[in-house]
Amino acid sequence: MKWRKLNKNRMKIEESAKKAKQDKQPFQESIKEMTGNLTADLNLIRKEIGHNSDVEFREFQMGTTGIRIAVVFIDGLADADVINKHILVDFMSASPKETGHPLKNSSLKEYIKNQTLSVCGLNEVHTLNDITSGVMFGSIAILVDGLEDVFMVGGAKAKTRNIDEPPTEALVRGPRVGFIENLKDNTALLRRHGKDQNLSIISFQVGERSKKELVITYMKDIVNPHILEEVKQRIDKIKIDDVHDSSYIEQLIEDNFLSPFPQVQSTERPDRVMSALMEGRIALLLDGSPFALIVPVTFHMLLQSPEDYYERWMAATLIRILRYFAAFIALFVPSLYIAFISFHPGLIPTKLIFSIAATREGVPFPPLIEALIMEVSIEVLREAGLRLPKPIGQSIGIVGGLIIGEAAVQAGIVSPIMVIVVAVTAISSFTLPHYNVGIALRILRFASMLFASVFGLYGVVLFFLFLCSHLVRLKSFGIPYVSPAVSYRLDDWKDFIIRVPLFLMKRRPKLLHPKDSVRKR
Amino acid sequence: MTSGPLDRITSYQAVMFITNFILGAGTLTLPRTTTEKINTPDSWIAVIVSGLIISLIAVIILKLCQRYPNETFYQFNQKLLGKWVGLLLSLTVICYYIVLSAYEVRTMAETTRLFLLQGTPTWAIIMPFLWIGLYLVQGGVNAIARLLEIIFPITVLLFLLVMFLGIELFEVDNLRPVLGSGVKPVFKGLTTSSLSFAGFEILLFIYMFMKEKNNITKVPLVGVGIPIIFYTITVVIVIGSISVDAVVSQTWPVLTFIRSFEITGLLFERFDSLILVIWIMQIFASYVIALFIATLGLNQIFPKSTHAFIYSLIPLIYLVSMIPKNINEVFKMAEMIGNLALYLFFIMPLFLFIISKVKERKYEKM
Repeated sequence: MKWRKLNKNRMKIEESAKKAKQDKQPFQESIKEMTGNLTADLNLIRKEIGHNSDVEFREFQMGTTGIRIAVVFIDGLADADVINKHILVDFMSASPKETGHPLKNSSLKEYIKNQTLSVCGLNEVHTLNDITSGVMFGSIAILVDGLEDVFMVGGAKAKTRNIDEPPTEALVRGPRVGFIENLKDNTALLRRHGKDQNLSIISFQVGERSKKELVITYMKDIVNPHILEEVKQRIDKIKIDDVHDSSYIEQLIEDNFLSPFPQVQSTERPDRVMSALMEGRIALLLDGSPFALIVPVTFHMLLQSPEDYYERWMAATLIRILRYFAAFIALFVPSLYIAFISFHPGLIPTKLIFSIAATREGVPFPPLIEALIMEVSIEVLREAGLRLPKPIGQSIGIVGGLIIGEAAVQAGIVSPIMVIVVAVTAISSFTLPHYNVGIALRILRFASMLFASVFGLYGVVLFFLFLCSHLVRLKSFGIPYVSPAVSYRLDDWKDFIIRVPLFLMKRRPKLLHPKDSVRKR
Repeated sequence: MTSGPLDRITSYQAVMFITNFILGAGTLTLPRTTTEKINTPDSWIAVIVSGLIISLIAVIILKLCQRYPNETFYQFNQKLLGKWVGLLLSLTVICYYIVLSAYEVRTMAETTRLFLLQGTPTWAIIMPFLWIGLYLVQGGVNAIARLLEIIFPITVLLFLLVMFLGIELFEVDNLRPVLGSGVKPVFKGLTTSSLSFAGFEILLFIYMFMKEKNNITKVPLVGVGIPIIFYTITVVIVIGSISVDAVVSQTWPVLTFIRSFEITGLLFERFDSLILVIWIMQIFASYVIALFIATLGLNQIFPKSTHAFIYSLIPLIYLVSMIPKNINEVFKMAEMIGNLALYLFFIMPLFLFIISKVKERKYEKM
């Protein structure tokens, strides 16, 4: 048989289907059952989805029996190999006569299921809606004349990319593996990474209109059931027509939308997800997004990198301290500069204040304006460098960093010390292992500069108190955001600023109240 | 405000409450207030002795609270004293805390104006401070406890570090003779030095929130013990470095002491403003706790109340804090608060404890 271009006579068919419908039944319910009559069933399906140019119908006969069979699938989405090598070959070469069974309904169905179709995933559906939605998602529908059951085979075979190291979370040492856009590959990555029978992968469907699969993964015997329940509830509450990326999920389940701090951690690294699961956290993966979400998040996680555990403990500890220091610089140095220069020059050592005063001599602006000019321009440069293709982005960096900075100083708009302050701040903010933490600190830096320009050092302290007040109130899925820094738990401090040698980390973090708290015996 | 049964604090956090509430604005004037009455270098002995007495009272308060594990002072005092007397007492206590927080805020504003922001009006300094405190108090007892845990190590460690940086000025001769004028002056100074420990009574209000309620005698002991050590170090170093005469004549002896030395080779040379800035956080802690107890009281006395009370307290505290016209009136305010505290929290808990014992006896007899 040949492929039929059915779209051409679509109108005809639709009309005839309409007539048939009018003749036979006065009105059909929204749930339409398959009748078992192949022509009528195909017409029903055609009427529903036949107008799409990528829906293909293929009719043929089963071996020598003459039973008509139709295959419905979406070209490009369904796995063509399965159709060619399995479905067509299996049915066309089927010779049920050898078995001697009379091929009527139930026995035909059993025969097809047991002896004909050589594919693993096989579902039976009855309603039109199940068929059309299945076909639209990439399954292959097999209709057999005389059977009310329709076989659905397989799922979408998406073109996926290779599993590479994620560029945003590159490590010097550690597995070079990152998630990709295909959910099944991602869950398989997790399974391969953590060979643990307690690794649970529970599926949810999100999106009212465009339905996408979302899985939550956790360690069954470690996770705190209260947190798990909370996560499930929040996912159930998501009512949105389409979820384009896991960042949608992040924004829909987070605790406080007014907070600048990320309350969900996103990562592309399976090893990071795995270690979070081992601590009793929960990870969410959405089909079509390479970013897994980890909840609940506590502040110290955002300043950690998987490398902290791959390196030996001394290096890891020192790098962590460095990172905390860098976060402090990124947040407070411009505001401290403003505070000291405009309010408390007396606090700076005499020699230093003289040299600063000398460089600031020609600058016409107060420190706040000076700092704002430089901070804003470096943010603009950073954003511009991000959007441009890589080679141009780098040259923008050179143009911005060297030429504008140098020229601004020579033109007397800003003082050289301000350029140093801004540069140090920017470089420090790049040491943070998470992009969204960097953004949070960038927002807060401007707030702290404003406080400093009004109240000086007192303003910086006020800002610090405000920040702390906000942080101590913030919770991520019921877990205080600032833990384990406070609610002093000395056990958890082993993996906070200091990362103790692995043989000393015998317990999982207590802050999540895991069911199984022993990590190492 | 979340004061439900789920809002629990750990024993560590209870210690933080006690310690942070005791260490407040008073620390900056502590060497002067303790020495003024004694006039000998022995005020550190008075600090230790009064600290020990205070620990005893704190333990008695704990025992009192343990009779009413799920109630605060505002609730159980009515059972002990009758409805109206109890209500009156509660209102007095609330007023005390409003005035106390106003005093903390005003002292902060005065020192800030003196050392950091010469031209800025007092109201501009006070207002943002009040608002941030309000924001925190809305988070409930847990949020406050966590903030205290963040603030405490920063402030106390940096304070002590700076104190020890000035150790080269320290001369033992300034502290001699020990008990040169006998024990009498020390006894005279006991009242004022005890007042510097005001704040230990916080257990009356936070015991209800504690996770562990038994075998926690160490909580008041450690909670008062940390300030004893801290105060003793401060008094000894400040008096030992700038002598009794200078201490008595200076308004802010601690800041004067820190101002009197310079360390070259570090990022900063002078530390007085720096330590003040850090100490502002400690004052914030005391203010927030006082505000919290006041709102807690209002919430418990008038059960229908909501956030409206917290919001209305802020302007009230602001008004009270603006009553003193100058720094001397602020100190008079401090004296008044001290006297009130003496009756409210030094004598009253003992009194209540005896009443509860007597009542218990009665029930046993019946």
